[in-house]
Amino acid sequence: MTISRRAALIGAAVLTFATPALAQDAAWPSKPLHTFVGFPAGSSPDLLARIVTDPLAATLGQPIVIENKPGAGGVIGIQQMLNAKDQDYTFGTTINGPMTTAPRLVPDLGYDVAADVAPVALIATSPLVLVVAADFVADDLAGFVTAAGAEPEVVSYGSVGKGSGAHLTAELFSDRAGVEMLHIPYTSYAEVTTAIIGHEIDSGFMAPSAAMQYVEAGTLKILGITSQVPFDQAPGVPVMAGQAGLPDDFRAELWNAFIAPAGTDEAIINKLNADINVILADPAVQKRLADMGWQVAGGTAAELQQRIVEDTEIWGAVLDRIDAKN
Amino acid sequence: MSGWEGFLHGLSVALQPEVLIYCVFGVVLGTFVGVLPGIGAMATISLLLPITYYLSPEAALIMLAGVYYGSQYGGAVASILLRLPGTPQSAVTTLDGYPLAQQGRAGVALFTSMTSSFLGSFFGICVLIVLSGFLSRAATAFGAADYAAMMILGLVAASTIGAKHPAKGLAMVVLGLILGCVGTDVNSGAQRFTFGQAELMDGVNLVALAMGLFGVAEVIANIQVAERTGVPRRIAMRDLLPRREELKRIPFPALRGASLGSFFGALPGTGSTISSFLAYATERRISRHPEKFGNGAVEGVAGPEAANNAAAISAFVPTLTLGIPGDPIMALMLGALVIHGVQPGPLMLEARPDMFWGLIASFGIGNLLLLILNLPLIGIWVSMLRIPFRWLYPAILIFVCLGVYSVRGAPFDIFAVALIGAIGYALSLARFNPALLLLGFVLGPLIETNLRRALLISRGDPMIFLERPISAAFVAAIAALILVSVVQSLRRVRPA
Repeated sequence: MTISRRAALIGAAVLTFATPALAQDAAWPSKPLHTFVGFPAGSSPDLLARIVTDPLAATLGQPIVIENKPGAGGVIGIQQMLNAKDQDYTFGTTINGPMTTAPRLVPDLGYDVAADVAPVALIATSPLVLVVAADFVADDLAGFVTAAGAEPEVVSYGSVGKGSGAHLTAELFSDRAGVEMLHIPYTSYAEVTTAIIGHEIDSGFMAPSAAMQYVEAGTLKILGITSQVPFDQAPGVPVMAGQAGLPDDFRAELWNAFIAPAGTDEAIINKLNADINVILADPAVQKRLADMGWQVAGGTAAELQQRIVEDTEIWGAVLDRIDAKN
Repeated sequence: MSGWEGFLHGLSVALQPEVLIYCVFGVVLGTFVGVLPGIGAMATISLLLPITYYLSPEAALIMLAGVYYGSQYGGAVASILLRLPGTPQSAVTTLDGYPLAQQGRAGVALFTSMTSSFLGSFFGICVLIVLSGFLSRAATAFGAADYAAMMILGLVAASTIGAKHPAKGLAMVVLGLILGCVGTDVNSGAQRFTFGQAELMDGVNLVALAMGLFGVAEVIANIQVAERTGVPRRIAMRDLLPRREELKRIPFPALRGASLGSFFGALPGTGSTISSFLAYATERRISRHPEKFGNGAVEGVAGPEAANNAAAISAFVPTLTLGIPGDPIMALMLGALVIHGVQPGPLMLEARPDMFWGLIASFGIGNLLLLILNLPLIGIWVSMLRIPFRWLYPAILIFVCLGVYSVRGAPFDIFAVALIGAIGYALSLARFNPALLLLGFVLGPLIETNLRRALLISRGDPMIFLERPISAAFVAAIAALILVSVVQSLRRVRPA
């Protein structure tokens, strides 16, 4: 009796959920889509989202409304996306932080990455470069490691706050290179750059696009890049992996991805993934992203899932190390 | 290219009809959104951002900048007439502007504010042309210790302005400092007083705080008042203009304010807030009638308004030449530049002279337009005061909600503004001045981060504040200021 009642309930539930999904197969999307971005209008993640959603809206034949919900390093954008009730029409773009390190850094996060968020597609990645003032004692990475290794905390670096990409990358680098550097947190890359130029701090990891101008102006120099292969937007900058005692698999990249709330129709996720990959293959889109310092990525939803798991592990270990130090 | 040559070249860019029309559009729009309580330049610029895809980079930036400084003119209108400042800078304007309006002399306050804003901007533009190189070097020369010392000076100098009782003024500053602690600690990542609310992780929303303490509190306070008194039924042009002796009291305070604004505005962070408070404190200190301040002193409007407009101009120096945005609106401007493939930074002056000088020339044109536009509008703004309260106040509340929501689209902030409004009302009953709370709120977190950063850099050695010449100068000024106040109060206790 109980079993058949439960079965009936499940059946009813399946029916309720299945009916709209079936209807959508024919007509999705039948109304505008909403994409949540956890950063303010005009910020780099916002511009990136617009570069992708403009052509996506054209492909889908429906407008895509960008919902800027800034705050807490992008976490609020994901929370708001998950709170939106409009299933199959609510999506988001996010940087790596809220998907990998936020569960460690933000108490009361309010979501579980694995259970609540469905990856759609990796949009782009950005390596970081190690920057020092033009008159810094060392001219290459080996010299930098020697200088930093002379005494603990003799060389300082700036980041954009605890747990930021710049902070974690510098700590990963220190760990792998066997040095200890003094961490000075700032709130923006522009502040870090100014502090390095003003000789207030020695170094910092930042996006190549944030540093190149100063290299051309002769006030900063770049010692290496954290990607596995050289980066077009940072011509002539050597890859760090395998140099100055760093392991060959050394890699630290920021990324930006298109996501959906868990429970979004599988067919819709697959369609969006295919459409986004087509858009990312367009050289014009690639150029616009490259101008902002992003390298187009693409790939399947499963590959993005894999990336989230891997990065959560890598950065989790770095956070363990930071926590152990304090 | 020298500064003046550059400026002339810029005029040739900014006076092109297709650029000029966007400049006009920007400043007119800016004035109106500035007047509407709560809906500021920030929301307007974010809405306009997607449209700029279809414009030339010069036209786009000139239009957005027009909205920015145009809203400074409009913001004074809401502060003076309704005690509704959208920013901490215009909160200073309420100190004497609103009493003037209550005395039926809103026109005088508006006239003072418009002309001083214009003088301030013009001064700022001249400084920019002559000294832009120096200002951008000054911005890199300032380290954490210097910022910390400078902001403490601002806090000490301004912490008793606008308060009849110094102790009440200090209480407000301290409350502001405490509120400023809310949010994520930059150094440790620890959550302070956020009570598990993700909306509080970046701190209390500044617009919600300003709107609640001033606007909503004012609406609550007026519920018991039947109708406004002291507003003339018909306004003659004569009543709009200041008396001759008042007119004489505008230029010098405006010039002093403008010099403070031009210098502090170029320092990223809180330049314009500090400069308006400092301008007010300076005017009160050197005035022969300090008791008039807070009761409708013209100088109390002229100084700060000139300062914040001059600062709005010189704030473009670090934004364009260093790529360091001083506030969220400047960050938005940077975003607009990046959309158009222009990377602001040290190379901008050489790489994009059209853009740089075109923008600066457009400041001159735009401010002239604003003065021409706003002087005739004074009569219309003043007649807004004749709108019956039953229409005016509900409308204000709606705009406040829209404005607060537009900052980051968080319903949380609307509840926050209601709660802060109730607190603001209680504070005004007890005759506390909320402008000082805003000062503490804005400066507190910056003092804290810079102080801690300076000590981290010096590996814990406090001598860094005396070893660096800039910070040593500020420390000396702080010491002198405290010494003077102590001596003055001792003299008052025991008359010689």
